[in-house]
Amino acid sequence: MNPPGWLVDRLPEWARSIRFRYTLLYSAVLFGLAAVVVAAIYLVLLMSLRSQPVSAGRGTFCRYGECIRLLSLSEFERLVNTRTLARLRNYSFGALGVLFVASLGVGWVVAGRVLRPIGRITSVAREIQATDLSRRIELPGPDDELKQLADTFDAMLARLDAAFAAQRQFVADASHELRNPLAIIRTNVDVALADPRADPEDLRHTIAVVKRASDRMARLVDDLLALARRQEPTVEHELVDLGAAVAEASDDFLVPAAARQIVLDRAIGPGVVVTGDRDALKRAVANLLENAVRLAPEGSRIRLATGSEGGRAWIAVADEGPGIAPEDQPHVFDRFWRADKGRARADGGTGLGLAIVRQIAESHGGQIRLQSKPGVGSSFVIWLPEAAPASAPAEPGRVPGASALTTAAIPAGRPRPRPPINRGPLSG
Amino acid sequence: MRVLVVEDEADLADAIARGLRREGYAVDVAYDGDEAVDKASVNDYDVVCLDLNLPRLDGIEVVRRIRADDFGQPTRVLMLTARDSTRDRITGLDEGADDYLVKPFDFDELKARVRALLRRDAGRSGAVLRVGDIELDSSRHEARRDGHPLALTPKEFALLRYFMSRSGQVLSQEELLEHVWDENADPFTNTVRVTVMTLRRKLADTGGSQPIETVVGRGYRLREQP
Repeated sequence: MNPPGWLVDRLPEWARSIRFRYTLLYSAVLFGLAAVVVAAIYLVLLMSLRSQPVSAGRGTFCRYGECIRLLSLSEFERLVNTRTLARLRNYSFGALGVLFVASLGVGWVVAGRVLRPIGRITSVAREIQATDLSRRIELPGPDDELKQLADTFDAMLARLDAAFAAQRQFVADASHELRNPLAIIRTNVDVALADPRADPEDLRHTIAVVKRASDRMARLVDDLLALARRQEPTVEHELVDLGAAVAEASDDFLVPAAARQIVLDRAIGPGVVVTGDRDALKRAVANLLENAVRLAPEGSRIRLATGSEGGRAWIAVADEGPGIAPEDQPHVFDRFWRADKGRARADGGTGLGLAIVRQIAESHGGQIRLQSKPGVGSSFVIWLPEAAPASAPAEPGRVPGASALTTAAIPAGRPRPRPPINRGPLSG
Repeated sequence: MRVLVVEDEADLADAIARGLRREGYAVDVAYDGDEAVDKASVNDYDVVCLDLNLPRLDGIEVVRRIRADDFGQPTRVLMLTARDSTRDRITGLDEGADDYLVKPFDFDELKARVRALLRRDAGRSGAVLRVGDIELDSSRHEARRDGHPLALTPKEFALLRYFMSRSGQVLSQEELLEHVWDENADPFTNTVRVTVMTLRRKLADTGGSQPIETVVGRGYRLREQP
């Protein structure tokens, strides 16, 4: 029952409501049905009266020179019938009229009652601003269609609220992280400028501080942009030789690792191919290695391995660093999370490295897993869906299973990446 | 006036300390919450510039602990925060901070706020201190006696400011060392005596009677009436 657009535009607001249309429809249907019933009764009555004459005969009665035409009984009967039918017809029209008016009223009231929850949903939705998503409809009453609608709405609001809260938190965190180096730059410059007798040594010191702070800001902005760009699922869809990408990414860390007498063990399984963004995957590996090289003690060993198992490719980085306390483990992939704020910041970490790794893994349809024991070390494993074997370049010398390789590369007794025994979703 | 700067960003903490020292304050620096609480429990600071986001011990907790063993002259807390949300500021102020400044700040504003906090104790409303015929403008770093400018070193200036903010009171050498010198001052040297001496000489050079008198066995006093 949708009236044409030109008509709707001309109607007053109350006449455009569903309530009005519903009332009209209800009333019209009721009126139509009643009219049909009444007409049927009328016709049936009409027919039955015609077909059954009760009497017959006619004549004239005369006395004292005056004659009266006698009505035959059947004629009399017909007259009575005609009048009765006419009266029935009139009453019926009257009743139909009253019914029509009454049905409009009843329809209006009933429609109002039925639609009241929708009014509530609308008014709550209208009151909700993007900045305050804490309100809910919380429709009372039985679990009917409208309650389900309201509940669905509430669930959607809760999800939106959480998403906005996360976004706000991220902006607050990002501005906090950017403000600190900015404060360093500004205060140092202010103090240096306010001293008319500053010697070159002081000024050189100030410049060095400003450079450090601006380097930190640059890294932070880089990481923030990397995070922001990867909000959506990866767009680059090329076939990536995982082993080659990982080897390339790790080449950059040979020198920094050697500088700290750290041995970088690489056990890279050949022939593992995934679909995705090569640069992003390299960055994920680089971020993991960067943390490992920064945190591992001098003279320790970092193991980097790749392989595949059951249609899933993996990259593992294991260090002998300080490890992560169990209560901190759920947070290490959060943005700006740091085990020790002061130390990590001084070391040049932005607090975004692992968040970026997680985002890269997830945007490739994969996951990142952590196993860590304080004092023993940490191992991070990125799991990625392996590209379909058909598209993978066939390699005759391909290592059949990665587990043997992993075991060889990472001796037992260490936290090590464990290829999944069961093929189902991995658990922590 | 003795100030403690609590800030985990060493580059920022050192710059604030350097700038405030040049203003004649005695400045100590703490790089984390524990260190701040330790120093505040040993020394009697007039102002603490406190970053809220600290490793080990949160800034709010530091304020609480400083307030818990506050006695006599209260320590004024100026919190520095990189979070500008109203809720953070309210929490800080409710927990006992006296003022706040959002990073990054103008260093002149930091100086002005520290001065304003110090004025609260003295119950004054302007940046200019006046005792008798001595006038000291801490925002311009100028001191005059009877209209004649005094050429004071930063330490002498800080000492005169402390005398003027507590005029009429007898101040012991220990108290002067505590509030005008920072933790690097050697308590066994006669640095306080020497600085008081040079300050008195400069004040006397402008003519008139000596406003700083020695109270034998107890310390020094700045006379309120010349």
